[in-house]
Amino acid sequence: MVLLGKVALGIAGTALAGIGLICSEGMIEVNVVEKQPEAHHVYVLAPAMLVPITMHFIPSRKLGNAAAEIKPWLPTIRAALEQLRAGEDVTLVEVREPGQHVLVTKSGGSVVVDVTDTDETVHVSAPIRAIESTVEQVAAAGSETQD
Amino acid sequence: MRKGMRAVGVCCVLALTMSNLAVTAMAAPATSERYLHVKVDDASKGESVNVNVPLSMAAAILPTVNHGSLHNGHVTIGETDFNGVDVRAMLDAIRNAPDNEFVTVKEKDQDVRVAKLNGNLIVHVLDKSKDGEKVDVTIPMKVVDALFSTAKDNELDIAAAIRALSDARDAVLVTVQDATEHVRIWIDSHSSGE
Repeated sequence: MVLLGKVALGIAGTALAGIGLICSEGMIEVNVVEKQPEAHHVYVLAPAMLVPITMHFIPSRKLGNAAAEIKPWLPTIRAALEQLRAGEDVTLVEVREPGQHVLVTKSGGSVVVDVTDTDETVHVSAPIRAIESTVEQVAAAGSETQD
Repeated sequence: MRKGMRAVGVCCVLALTMSNLAVTAMAAPATSERYLHVKVDDASKGESVNVNVPLSMAAAILPTVNHGSLHNGHVTIGETDFNGVDVRAMLDAIRNAPDNEFVTVKEKDQDVRVAKLNGNLIVHVLDKSKDGEKVDVTIPMKVVDALFSTAKDNELDIAAAIRALSDARDAVLVTVQDATEHVRIWIDSHSSGE
């Protein structure tokens, strides 16, 4: 009985450690609410670490175009993300039009995009570290394709 | 003996707390970040665009961009843009001159005024046509100097100008006002545009 308890404790501990590891890079949050003509609600909350892991399963040749397009801008993207990660929280862009409001912010280690218009509201939040990992993997896929 | 041990314990706790506070204070991020704000309001359409860029970010990004006439933080301008005017010599003259109004042009359609005041280069343009556009530019001389600090005559050092802006005081750099639109560019230490 005691042995069984120890095994259960071990499994629970490993599971907790695994969840902690997977969530260590933060969470990607997507929330879309359509108001018209019918109300639809899509909500996705996923560990950010899953994105770079998923990228490993995409064949390099499929990322070739994206890698070629991103390559000239890679130093700029790297510098921007590094500065964003190190900097304070900031509202980067805010656009207001009649019936529409777009907000791009850096908030607590994530880039957050909020769009509100008459038809829908969209909220996307992605950790900067996950964006960095993903960009690096796309760039790496480009160099693999060239090899 | 017990009292002595207690005193040592209290001292240890105090020392730990003080060192913790010192480390926290040292690790606390400096709130000296400067921001470049751009706000465009179009009253006729009810639109507004607000962009806030940390100057440190702009200074880090600009040297990495190599596209079109922008390369390594420098922008290349055609010789014709200066119309044969030796801008550096002109800036030297302005820098060494006392505060003054250097250029005043009054035409039927347009008034232009260029002056130096309190270490700033000031340009006012008033278009008297039906839109009635009014442009005010106030640039610290240090920023202008940084802009023209490149070795090449046909280049402007945008990255150096951004770095110089980081050291400048809070200021409204550019305002453009016409019948419907209002554009404002300024620097301060606030992360939001309002």
